[in-house]
Amino acid sequence: MSEGIGASVTRKEDKKFLTGKGRYTDDINRPGQTHAYFVRSDVAHANIKSIDTKAASSADGVVAVYTGEDVVADGIGGPICGWVVPCRDGSATKEPPHPILANGKVRYVGDHVAVVIAETLAQAKSAAELVEVEYEELPAVVDLEKASSATEIHKEVPDNCYFDWELGDEASTDKALKSASRVVKLTVRNNRLVPNAMEPRAALAEYDDISESYTLHTTSQNPQLTRLVIAAFMFQIPESKLRVVAPDVGGGFGSKIYVYAEEAVCTWASKKINRPIKWTADRTQAFLSDAHGRDHINNVQLALDDNNKIVGLRVDTICNLGSYLSAFAVSVPTYLHGTLLSGVYDIPAIYTNVKGMATTTAPVDAYRGAGRPEATYLLERTMDAAAREIGMDPTEFRRLNFIPKDAFPYQTQVALQYDTGDYEPQLDKAMEMIDYKNFETRRSEAAKRGMYRGIGVSTYIEACGIAPSAVAGALGSRVGLYESASVRVDPTGTITVFTGAHSHGQGHATTFAQIVSEKLGVPLANVDLIHGDSEKNSFGMGTYGSRSLAVGGAALVKALDKVIEKSKKIAAHLMEASVEDVEFKEGKFAVAGTDKEKAFGEIALAAYVPHNYPHETLEPGLEESAFYDPLNFTYPSGAHIAEVEVDPATGVVKVVDWAACDDFGNLINPMIVEGQVHGGIAQGIGQALLEDAHYDENGQLLTASYMDYCMPRADDLPSFKVGYTNTPCTHNDLGVKGCGEAGAIASPPAIINAIIDALSPLGVTDMSMPATPQKVWKAIQDSQSIAAE
Amino acid sequence: MYSTKYVKPNSTPEALEAIKSLSEGKFLAGGMTLIPTLKQRLASPDGLVDISGCNLDTIADEGETIKIGAMSRHVSVAESPVVKKAIPTLASLAEGIGDRQVRNRGTLGGSVANNDPSACYPSAVLALKATVHTNSRSIAADDFFTGMFETALEEDEIIESISFSKPTKANYVKFPNPASRYAMVGVFVAKFGEGVRVAVTGAGEGGVFRHKEMETALSSNYSSDSLSSLNIASDGLISDLHASAEYRANLIKEMTKRAVV
Amino acid sequence: MEIKDSYKLPLSKERVWAALNDEDFLKKSIPWCEKLERRSETELAAEVKLKIGPMSTRFTGSITLSDIDPPNGYTITGSGKGGIAGAASGSAKVKLVEDKDTTSTTLSYEVSAQVKGKIAQLGSRLIQSTAKKLSKNFFGSFVKQLEDMDKLK
Repeated sequence: MSEGIGASVTRKEDKKFLTGKGRYTDDINRPGQTHAYFVRSDVAHANIKSIDTKAASSADGVVAVYTGEDVVADGIGGPICGWVVPCRDGSATKEPPHPILANGKVRYVGDHVAVVIAETLAQAKSAAELVEVEYEELPAVVDLEKASSATEIHKEVPDNCYFDWELGDEASTDKALKSASRVVKLTVRNNRLVPNAMEPRAALAEYDDISESYTLHTTSQNPQLTRLVIAAFMFQIPESKLRVVAPDVGGGFGSKIYVYAEEAVCTWASKKINRPIKWTADRTQAFLSDAHGRDHINNVQLALDDNNKIVGLRVDTICNLGSYLSAFAVSVPTYLHGTLLSGVYDIPAIYTNVKGMATTTAPVDAYRGAGRPEATYLLERTMDAAAREIGMDPTEFRRLNFIPKDAFPYQTQVALQYDTGDYEPQLDKAMEMIDYKNFETRRSEAAKRGMYRGIGVSTYIEACGIAPSAVAGALGSRVGLYESASVRVDPTGTITVFTGAHSHGQGHATTFAQIVSEKLGVPLANVDLIHGDSEKNSFGMGTYGSRSLAVGGAALVKALDKVIEKSKKIAAHLMEASVEDVEFKEGKFAVAGTDKEKAFGEIALAAYVPHNYPHETLEPGLEESAFYDPLNFTYPSGAHIAEVEVDPATGVVKVVDWAACDDFGNLINPMIVEGQVHGGIAQGIGQALLEDAHYDENGQLLTASYMDYCMPRADDLPSFKVGYTNTPCTHNDLGVKGCGEAGAIASPPAIINAIIDALSPLGVTDMSMPATPQKVWKAIQDSQSIAAE
Repeated sequence: MYSTKYVKPNSTPEALEAIKSLSEGKFLAGGMTLIPTLKQRLASPDGLVDISGCNLDTIADEGETIKIGAMSRHVSVAESPVVKKAIPTLASLAEGIGDRQVRNRGTLGGSVANNDPSACYPSAVLALKATVHTNSRSIAADDFFTGMFETALEEDEIIESISFSKPTKANYVKFPNPASRYAMVGVFVAKFGEGVRVAVTGAGEGGVFRHKEMETALSSNYSSDSLSSLNIASDGLISDLHASAEYRANLIKEMTKRAVV
Repeated sequence: MEIKDSYKLPLSKERVWAALNDEDFLKKSIPWCEKLERRSETELAAEVKLKIGPMSTRFTGSITLSDIDPPNGYTITGSGKGGIAGAASGSAKVKLVEDKDTTSTTLSYEVSAQVKGKIAQLGSRLIQSTAKKLSKNFFGSFVKQLEDMDKLK
């Protein structure tokens, strides 16, 4: 069986993970290691009147206690904002300071006030209890809709508004809304989520006073960027004096993209005490201080003409970005959200306005899908609302408005140009997979059992393969978004791949090896992957936005092409043929029209033992690098259809069936892709039915443990039916688009649409996420009492 | 957790001696609530007296009742042939508590002594007319539970076993909290010759309670129809993020209907 | 979160009002109160050891009286810090209304409670029930003391 592209080989990394042999940051220990524990604010918003660390400093085992004053004294800066946008009034995004230990003020429950470093974690915790912080409390700002008139959180952020941004043509859109024969209006809220990676964040920092350099092991999706930010922007030390290693990383979903206060504090303090420092979050600390996701309120107006064709779309959004601007917080609701508002539909006029607000809650940033789930949710909910209003089947209404397949490349009204796609076959296939046409039979059968059954559709698009650097730069990104790859061939022909992408569960060790196996004809077992270490890997941008394969994989192909090109020259020399006559196929270099051939291993050996070698024209060795900057985003799309049953007596929603038909372009490993689809849908079901980060009016996070924050479990999920269509990406060599976020993007509106469909006989027309049993039950009760009136 | 003393005596009298030597000692049974609390530093006893070595884990059929040792793990109750034969619902209740890890550690006595308002076992104790046997006395279930996390137990009193009366029919149906899977509402219905007892857990602000109206209705007609016209009051029911008192009232009725089969 | 209740006492409004301002009465009424010392007319220092299930935490803080309207009522606010557990505060608006024949008085209260830190993060399911229970305990034992005293007379 082939081990190359398209083969569902089992994952090379699973043996270690499944047998508990993964090596995570917290598994690593250093001689002389100390432990850090952070004193965190238990109030949402307050001026710090005083911090008394005397008792803590002299407690058993305490090595040091530091506060914001020490950070200021050492001139250490805070995490930076990696992306900014211009405001409607021409002003810039407001970027308030983000100190790594609070500087005079705390702005959310969990904000870092002081760090206690001790010989043991227990001693650090005990001493932390002795740190006396006196607060002058200020009103918490929790209600997103009232944030603009609430107490000021940062003096640099008037009206608690970080930015007020727009995209699209307001005049033509409003004109379309005015002249439309029907305008469908809907307000939706995208509920706030906590990422909940299985491995909590951790850091192990050490300083070597001989080489005067730091080493930081940390839970990062992009260690290279962590190194750049800490060295250049926060510490202002030579970048070469900091090594950042992200060993095995147990999930991230976006939350491990950013540099957080904890790893910076540990790194800074490791020099001050000249000993290694370890910090690992417990689960509640993770709830409090990991960057949260989503939290938008969208007001949508969709204009239709007499033929039910969409003629305009206006979306006014306010989003909660929390107490400080996290690294990519600004890009998520703007260029990863506003640009997706055309969906898979041909919409001639679109305008969106987004206000990014500060509140006294944890910072909010990218979470699986990042902006695209919010765009998909509001659009797909509105599409269903419109179909219901005009009395048209929701699949027919979508079909009517799909971008036709001969319209590609398609320029949307919100900046993006889709290179390829074909949306009708996806919908056809998903409908067939779930047996859409016989749904009413299933609905009546369920009704006999006293259950309300509903079906819900979501046809989504996303922009992945983040991103063309020039485009990103023009839109406000402060980083490039290319990727790097190196291929080192050993003398015996085994291969090591180095990539700037970094797996936190995606299976890169397998898929990247499959690409090598396919291109060079070598067995999978001969290929190893090294990633996550700034000392070993070339500069790269890490893993998020479904970019690893579409960008990192494309870089790998370029490096492999260079290896093949050089190998051909060596082969030509060895076989005394001209390079043009050398063909490379299935791991062998052959001279066309002859039986002369050399195996890949023989070429490798000749490169490293160059006794017979074209030294005049070629360097010895076989090792090539490449950087790849994509030409465009990739545009995965698909149709997801959910079937649910609602128990009217309890409000429990059971997802009973699911069909997903996605177009991810070419698939490298269909098994891994299917796993990504399953995981994404599970997270989407979590958002739609279960998960909700809830702050009370005083800014206390009431869902800070699994007692109250509800994660999806296996028994919340049906067996998914997964299928594919394929329009290969036109601008990368692999023809791949990315699959990591699709499920989480597509699924929430499918479920909510299905619930509304199920309950529409009762007069229920709206449902917010998460659709908990209590909420669904109450909606049924309310609709019945209205009916009774 | 804060550092604390740990002792593991071999009998109840030794355990009582041990706790007396401590100023704020705690008995440790399965530790499914106590240990997480200690880890969070939300309690700081000066010692733990582990009673798992006190031979309190036998399960016996005593004719009218079955007697279950306080230290019987949930898994032992779930798998006990004695329990399965005499009161199968009690076995399945035990099988539905927490997850496998919790069932391997958690104990009957620990759950009942803690009287968490969302625990499953207290409803069985109350509905099955149980008697709680301690080192010094026997307490009828109706006198045992006195409020949220409160029982008739004195400080330094150990539950040794609990005798459950055998019903002619019984069933336990719970609606788990979606996040924690504790009972958001759990209803234990038990039918005896003299009438029906209905115990509700997860819902009452004072912890587990008997629902007298439903008992009366079911005693005269043991069928879910007899509940249809009942209006379940929401007074005194827990209201939290996951369920309002009104929703809990609805669930009480609904779970009871499902229990009566 | 709103918690309300009322009690009817066979006493005059003045008698109840006096008790509401008597620190011995208050100390005996505050559940698990270990220490109560008057600091001023309107403020008392307090120490309470709160036990909820396995949790056992000492709160140190104060009791303050505000909106004082003798003898019709006041607002009594307790707030305390429980170290690593976080902090809690509860405020009760107390109203006294005398019957027409002045032989009995109705004491009514309305409580709002707030918790911070770990107790909010981990114990949200218990906040309302606990606040209700503590309010009931406080006013219950306050009323009982008054009744007992009345019987002794």
